[in-house]
Amino acid sequence: MQNESQLKSYITFGLGDEKFALAVDHVQEIVELDKVTKIPNAPHYMLGIINLRGKVLPLLDTRLKLGLSEALATKKSRIMVIDIMVTDEKVIQIGALVDVAKEVIELSPSDIQEAPEFENYNTKTPITGVVNNKGDITMIMDVNKVFSSADILQLNQIMN
Amino acid sequence: MDSNQLRFVEDTLDLLNDLDEGLLQLEANPHATAPLEQVFRTMHTIKGAANMFGFDNIGNLAHQLESLFDLVRSNKLQVTDSLISITLQAFDNVRNLLQAKEFERIVKDSLLQEHIDTSISYYKEAIASSNIDETVSTIDKDELVTYFISVTPSIDITKDGNHPLVFIMLDLEGLGTSRTKVFAQGETIKQWHLFIATTTSLAELQSYFLFVEGECNVEYQRIATGNLIEDHEFQQCIEKFNDGQFQWEKLLEEATQAQERLKVIQTEELVEKGGPTTPVRKAQSDAIIKVDKRKIDDLLNWISELLVLQAQLSTISNDSNNATLRQVAENLEMITGRLRDTSLEIGLVPIETLVTKFKRFVRDLSKSLNKKVNFLSEGSDTEMDKDVIEMMSEPMIHLIRNAIDHGISSPEVRKAEGKSEFGTVKLKAFNSSAYVNIIISDDGKGIDKEAVLRKAIKEGVVSEDITLSEEEVFNLIFHPGLSTADKVSDISGRGVGMDVVRQKINELRGSITIKSEKGKGTAFHIKLPLSRSIIEGLLVKVADTRYVVPLNVIERIDRISYESLYAGERVNTSVLVNDELLPVLSLRKQFHNDVVDVPKTADVISISIDGKRKGIAVDKIEGKMQTVLKPLGDVYQQQDFIAGSTILGNGSLALVLDPSRLLKLEHNKN
Repeated sequence: MQNESQLKSYITFGLGDEKFALAVDHVQEIVELDKVTKIPNAPHYMLGIINLRGKVLPLLDTRLKLGLSEALATKKSRIMVIDIMVTDEKVIQIGALVDVAKEVIELSPSDIQEAPEFENYNTKTPITGVVNNKGDITMIMDVNKVFSSADILQLNQIMN
Repeated sequence: MDSNQLRFVEDTLDLLNDLDEGLLQLEANPHATAPLEQVFRTMHTIKGAANMFGFDNIGNLAHQLESLFDLVRSNKLQVTDSLISITLQAFDNVRNLLQAKEFERIVKDSLLQEHIDTSISYYKEAIASSNIDETVSTIDKDELVTYFISVTPSIDITKDGNHPLVFIMLDLEGLGTSRTKVFAQGETIKQWHLFIATTTSLAELQSYFLFVEGECNVEYQRIATGNLIEDHEFQQCIEKFNDGQFQWEKLLEEATQAQERLKVIQTEELVEKGGPTTPVRKAQSDAIIKVDKRKIDDLLNWISELLVLQAQLSTISNDSNNATLRQVAENLEMITGRLRDTSLEIGLVPIETLVTKFKRFVRDLSKSLNKKVNFLSEGSDTEMDKDVIEMMSEPMIHLIRNAIDHGISSPEVRKAEGKSEFGTVKLKAFNSSAYVNIIISDDGKGIDKEAVLRKAIKEGVVSEDITLSEEEVFNLIFHPGLSTADKVSDISGRGVGMDVVRQKINELRGSITIKSEKGKGTAFHIKLPLSRSIIEGLLVKVADTRYVVPLNVIERIDRISYESLYAGERVNTSVLVNDELLPVLSLRKQFHNDVVDVPKTADVISISIDGKRKGIAVDKIEGKMQTVLKPLGDVYQQQDFIAGSTILGNGSLALVLDPSRLLKLEHNKN
């Protein structure tokens, strides 16, 4: 029997033909892609800033961050507004561009298998687990590893 | 440190300011009771709080010094320069320690122990030598006399200045029941009329003015025995006298009548209460609460979001034919406007703390330089953003230091020039629209234009054959490495400073201008935006991106043909703008596509950075705007040439440029 309290909610989204999942407590909301203001001299994956109801958020491209190629924005493109812990006290909010946002699923730890080694990602092991639903693979992503601010800041410095 | 300890540090830093103020008053006026009580009380508070939160050494120091001032209270010790000095020095050290905000460092500080030892030995000496000379005249407590004292200062004094006379008057008021009328012209006090019923003897009243004899004219009139001020009719007579409706003789007549009336009342009441009624000091009527700065920032954020929504609603309602909707939108606009103003005010604090700091600074510096300086301040209730106040503290100290060190001559020289021995340094603050103005002026030597120019030519800052306007010459003193002091002292004249002053002001998007007349003095006029989050600038368009250029650095705007920006590869990369060769940075070339969709003309915004004029080329200037600045956050730390962003009426974003960083960026590339 599965313990109800062990179920955790995840939001799934797509990049290309692959499916990913993020723990729902990191995601504040999902909004449509509107006007982006580009910041000059910033690394390629930092798309610029957006106005989220009066709040200015940096927008990052999840595809580029994971080492995939750039894709054209479509009507299905979504921005996931994500909270990232910088330090114990400080949380920054960013927007992460994904190709498509899908659904909320509930998973228990037993559904999640250990992730194999992914060698083509330029960020170290952002995938903490894999769900195999009869051949339909969903990768669980650790938001702090993909968008760790130390990483962002560091990369930013190298680029300049 | 835990949050309570941090609170203690914050609170104590505030208290130390009060303490400074009290000690300075006490120094100016050693017999006054009000500042003595204030000093004693403040030390007591610090002692209690320090012990509670584990800062035992601060508690111990406060205790030792408190004991010293307890001796003063019981007339066993005189207020002397050395007493004030050891106290000030001890608490200066405490202040420095607290600012470090490291618990370990604070409790283990060895210097503090020295201060404790000093005060203990001072205490022992005081006890040993106090054969308690109770020469203080014994006063007949029953003898209440009503006096009229008129004080006419012979030098310029403002209400919130540091001149001892201001405090003396406050202390006199505290001696009994009193009515004071201040005759002022603007902020300058012309005369005081003080009516006071007190048991203090006339001789003692006179002694209060002992140290300021040369600077004011005091007349004493004994009106009658008894407390005439208690009599309502006589109170009205006093007002009529102050307004000039009554002559002195008429007032005396009324006084006799009032005296009669009081006698009747006294016999009727059989005199139940003894002693003079102590006047209630003007209480601080407004309650103050401390709020976490983050909460205020949150509030401001929500309100700016509200402003954006409201702007959108206004656009929609203007396009519709619905009169009710328009009415609602208009009302909403008004209310949000008020909400914005009020919420901006919340984050503002009076510059008073700064003024206290300056008073102290002027005292210490003028003493060490053997100069006599009268520090006047006006408008210390003017409010500014707390962060701005903190950022401006150092630059303003520098200006005051310059005024005293370079501007004001020694008393002997001033006397020979026919000026008063006392030099004046004046700080005047006032609001104008969305700006705070601060003028720091002195009546010293003024800036020697020829000397500045000579130096600038010698240092190769300007060429010899150049003709400069007065303003341009004065602005040269902001040039890094240009200092006109012939003798380099350790106080000023190291040539670092004035450029930093201007840089700080530029960072805050403010401006500074100089007025100076040889032999008459110098005035620095600093203009700062009321809040760091409000920005006034030009909205410009480059490709499909909008930028805002802060208005404070802009000198002129020219429209040139786009081709003249792109002459291809050449040695001379400057562009001829308004018959002047100007190094121009093209935002399009720098950050955008400069091949596709290029405009026919470009607008060149000339700005002045570090005394050098440079241009920023944009496609088109769209207009002037005042708006709320939003920081870009940690992610874009490297792009520091963008000061932040701002939301336009249609909901899209514009990038606010930091021109000096932008041009430095260009410089580094080359």
